[in-house]
Amino acid sequence: MSEHDSGTDRDADAAPAAAGPCTELPEGWAYDAEASGIGVLPVDMFRSIGKPVKRREDRRLVTGKGRFTDDFSVAGQLYAAMVRSPYPHARIRAIDTAAAQEAPGVLAVLTGQDALDDGLGPIPHNPVPSTRFDVKLRAPDGAMPFIGPHLLLPVDKARHVGEAVAMVVAESRAAAEDAAELVEVDWEELPHVADSLDAMAPGAPQVWDEVPGNAFVDSAFGDEAAVDAAFAEAAHVASAKFHVNRVTAVTMEPRAALADYDPETGRSTLYAGSGGAVRQKRELAETLGLDPADLRVLSHDVGGNFGARNRVYVEFGLVLWASRRLQRPVKFTATRSESFLTDYQGRDLNTHVQLALDADGRFLAMKADNVSNVGARCVSLSPLSKGSGLITGSYHIPHAHLRARAVFTNTMCTQAYRSSGRPEVTYAIERLVDIAAEEMGLDKIELRRRNLVAPTDMPYRTAMGSIYDSGEYEANMDRAMALFEWDAIPARHADAEARGKRLGVGLANYVESSIGTPKERAEITVAPGGQVEVVIGTQPSGQGHETSFAQVVADMLQTPVERVRIVLGDTDKVSLGGGTHSGRSMRHAGTVMAMASADLLRKARTLAADRLGFPPEELDFTDGAFSHRDSNQTVTLAELATADAPLFAARTNEMHAPVFPNGTAICEVEIDPDTCRIEITRYASIDDVGRCINPMIVHGQSHGGIAQGVGQAMWENCPIDAESGQPLAGSLMDYGMPRADNVPFYDVGISEVLSPTNPFGVKAGGEGGTTPALATVTLAVLDALRPLGVRDISMPVTPERLWQALHAAPQATESRT
Amino acid sequence: MMYDFAYHRARTLDDARAAFRDADDAAYVSGGHSLLPTMKNRLAAPDRLVHLTAIPELRGIARDGDRLVIGAAETHAGVAASPVVQEAIPALAALAGSIGDPQVRHRGTMGGSVANNDPAADYPSAVLGLGATIHTSEREIDADDFFAGMFTTALDEGEIVTRIAFPVPDSAGYAKMRNPASRYALAASFVARFGGDVRVAITGAGSDGVFRWHEAEEALAARFEPGALDGLAVDPDGMMSDMHASAAFRAHLCAVGTARAVANPGRLTLLA
Ligand SMILES: Cc1cc2nc3c(=O)[nH]c(=O)nc-3n(C[C@H](O)[C@H](O)[C@H](O)COP(=O)(O)OP(=O)(O)OC[C@H]3O[C@@H](n4cnc5c(N)ncnc54)[C@H](O)[C@@H]3O)c2cc1C
Repeated sequence: MSEHDSGTDRDADAAPAAAGPCTELPEGWAYDAEASGIGVLPVDMFRSIGKPVKRREDRRLVTGKGRFTDDFSVAGQLYAAMVRSPYPHARIRAIDTAAAQEAPGVLAVLTGQDALDDGLGPIPHNPVPSTRFDVKLRAPDGAMPFIGPHLLLPVDKARHVGEAVAMVVAESRAAAEDAAELVEVDWEELPHVADSLDAMAPGAPQVWDEVPGNAFVDSAFGDEAAVDAAFAEAAHVASAKFHVNRVTAVTMEPRAALADYDPETGRSTLYAGSGGAVRQKRELAETLGLDPADLRVLSHDVGGNFGARNRVYVEFGLVLWASRRLQRPVKFTATRSESFLTDYQGRDLNTHVQLALDADGRFLAMKADNVSNVGARCVSLSPLSKGSGLITGSYHIPHAHLRARAVFTNTMCTQAYRSSGRPEVTYAIERLVDIAAEEMGLDKIELRRRNLVAPTDMPYRTAMGSIYDSGEYEANMDRAMALFEWDAIPARHADAEARGKRLGVGLANYVESSIGTPKERAEITVAPGGQVEVVIGTQPSGQGHETSFAQVVADMLQTPVERVRIVLGDTDKVSLGGGTHSGRSMRHAGTVMAMASADLLRKARTLAADRLGFPPEELDFTDGAFSHRDSNQTVTLAELATADAPLFAARTNEMHAPVFPNGTAICEVEIDPDTCRIEITRYASIDDVGRCINPMIVHGQSHGGIAQGVGQAMWENCPIDAESGQPLAGSLMDYGMPRADNVPFYDVGISEVLSPTNPFGVKAGGEGGTTPALATVTLAVLDALRPLGVRDISMPVTPERLWQALHAAPQATESRT
Repeated sequence: MMYDFAYHRARTLDDARAAFRDADDAAYVSGGHSLLPTMKNRLAAPDRLVHLTAIPELRGIARDGDRLVIGAAETHAGVAASPVVQEAIPALAALAGSIGDPQVRHRGTMGGSVANNDPAADYPSAVLGLGATIHTSEREIDADDFFAGMFTTALDEGEIVTRIAFPVPDSAGYAKMRNPASRYALAASFVARFGGDVRVAITGAGSDGVFRWHEAEEALAARFEPGALDGLAVDPDGMMSDMHASAAFRAHLCAVGTARAVANPGRLTLLA
């Protein structure tokens, strides 16, 4: 981690400044056109950037020509099945594999002890975010936190339901599954805990002996003395506790891996769809003790990620290991049931927030106490960390204090999940602002307006030390309200009432951060035919990189988009790359592709100068060709490339400064107070994504993002039965999802306030849809129920929850028609 | 993945019964949309599947005087689209059209659904609500005697549902609150009026599966309008309770659903 440490770190004990305009920007924060080698961007010559170019990947994907992991098979392949823990917490006293070994078709039954004997180590998850701008999360004693080693198969105990403790490899999937039932584990059941607050209570079961009390991260940020002083003189303090529910990604393609070992070369090939093949290769090589050169990871089409596929899964390492032991290809494909139990899950944050206001409703200070449930071991602290930097939301809050804790429990591990960490804190601050408005008798829009960070204060340093790069927050809110037809609310209210429905509206402003792995590399080759090949280390799972990246390179090289091909997901071609997460891809890839394009054009210019007989700096470059005003001769990039010497440039770039996409979303619901049915009747949003490369793709991402946030707010939930420790939503019979018929049409608008941190001014799109949606839906429901005396409801806001809330409310008996 | 099993496609009732008898642990299969998911989860492990849908006696939809007779192997989609059903008992067609999704409706059958008696399934409420007669390979059974608790019926081992005869009512309505995840019934009410008689059958809610709500029937027989139900309540004690709906909420939904079914005859009303 230390490679990125520098003076701008937000250490827990560094003296924090009050929030306000950021006058001293850290070195390297702003984009430097000269240093980048790009120079002035040919913005006026952009032909395809900003255009809704049709997605080039869609024909392949919708005609069944996608290449997903399970589509790959290798002659002679074997199948792996896992023996999984039925208990949330149980010691493994012994594992008897004898009967399984003898079952028909079985080639191997392997346990955690076998893995240790073969020298396998834990997956090096590296969960502590490490860019210069991430908050620094530490153990209670200030050290690097203990994360709970993630062995491919545990040897001591199972720490969550579904944890794999042995693997059977057989000639067929059926044989492997049959034999897995014959493996006898001698279990000693242990007390278990699923809730993060319960896990910190005295006497709670211990998930790891190394961490008494289960809280393995405990860090504080902000100026506590200043916050206390502000609270002491506040005219009003609003306070609330929220739980942001646990969800799972339900990717359409279940996770899968196929490992193929070549005894002649000693190399392994792993077909495994993920969020980035480069990380998979690095971490799996380390787990197995392989020379990275002996491992090739292929990640072609990926049927859904949302964060769940960014980290290494034990089964990926297990099939690799088994295929090397048995010298046969080995495949694993998770069932939907296995996906529900053991895909990396998302969210699960407990937060206690307090806001101090003066008599005019101006925000003075904020306190937050955030507790993240990471599950049985820590694979990522991204959600806690991302959220930490954003607790103050879109508002100017001079002082803030945060205590951030992460806790082990006997549940599946959590990971970054679409818009990691941001919907949680957006939900908290936006609900808190509504509460404050109601308690103080202020208009909730006016209260927001009074406190939004002003454009003139940008770049703006928050009380948590985040530097908001740019944005026009109030304009976002006004545009979203106009799009929503805010003025028509009273009329729609009356109309709904006439139909026996209760109408409610929820508005949320949001700021989110896009940080992500700082390094990215692009290699660009122009072939003699004029085809351009771009090798890049991001990994799409529906985001349309093959299209939008091609648009960038096409405009930089002034060539038609159709000529540009994007190569992704093969570690034999892609040597470095941060993968796709945290909304990083367009910004990181766009920047490094522009740099490589500029490098390539410089080389081409020198060659062209030779060809045309003029000094390089006198040449013009238009429509993909070099020319000179004194000559009719031109030479194209294609003509400068030869089979032996194609035009080639490669660039690796490291970019740390985060960007802060922002916006406003508004949701309207109608509630039938008899049936407790909630229907979303209107949804409008404005998203400032910085420069928008392809508005159609960004809109699509917004739509999907909203649906995902709405899904969490209304249906999705991974509850655990407190007594048995068993997950209650193990299939689509119990896990509710957004569907085409229960999400509305959206009115989405894009705002393009360019970020000063990168050449194109890109921020990020796609997560902005999700970030405010938890808040907008819940606030709309509460708005509708307020006349019935309901003040609080927790997600997901199902009809059952609504009914409970109505019956607990003081004026509950008012309605029954 | 399922355990191994043998498969037999029966052509006649006798053939089916013999194939069933000759195996250790046979199961009939029609649409397979309840049985196969159970087998995939390894919760059922029949050693032989005897497929029923090619048996001629199990096919066909016809009006027979004051009765509508539907073959057990008719699919939900077939029932939903049948002009005969739409004309005779439109609420029944609408109910069939509300089951699951198009794939489910094109495989799943009325006989399979009724024999399965899932406490959240739709058809049992229509069969009981209309007071239908279940014809089997052995006998005829009144709806009132057929449903015997969750996933339990009066069918004997090896007995096959061949067709179901529904008395055609003056009017019938069906109102359903769907489980937000599975979209099976969380509580649904089928209300049928035959002259001065009213039958109300509720599915999705009761802990013994589908049941008749007699108080509501009496109140509606006296006065067939939603207001007649005011003050009536189903006892939460007999209701299922889970994360999607507590017993009290289900009891409440039984009343709301019955009122909406009365208010919207000839139709399906979705409460959510
Ligand atoms: C995704 C999904 C969603 C669904 N949603 C709904 C829903 O909303 N509402 C709803 O009501 N149902 C729903 N179902 C269930 C569906 O309607 C099933 O098709 C139906 O319950 C069973 O009919 P089947 O023909 O598929 O029966 P099968 O699965 O073939 O058989 C079910 C049981 O009945 C027995 N059986 C079958 N036929 C006969 C017969 N003629 N005589 C005696 N025994 C027989 C079998 O041995 C077995 O025990 C859903 C199913 C799925 C997969």
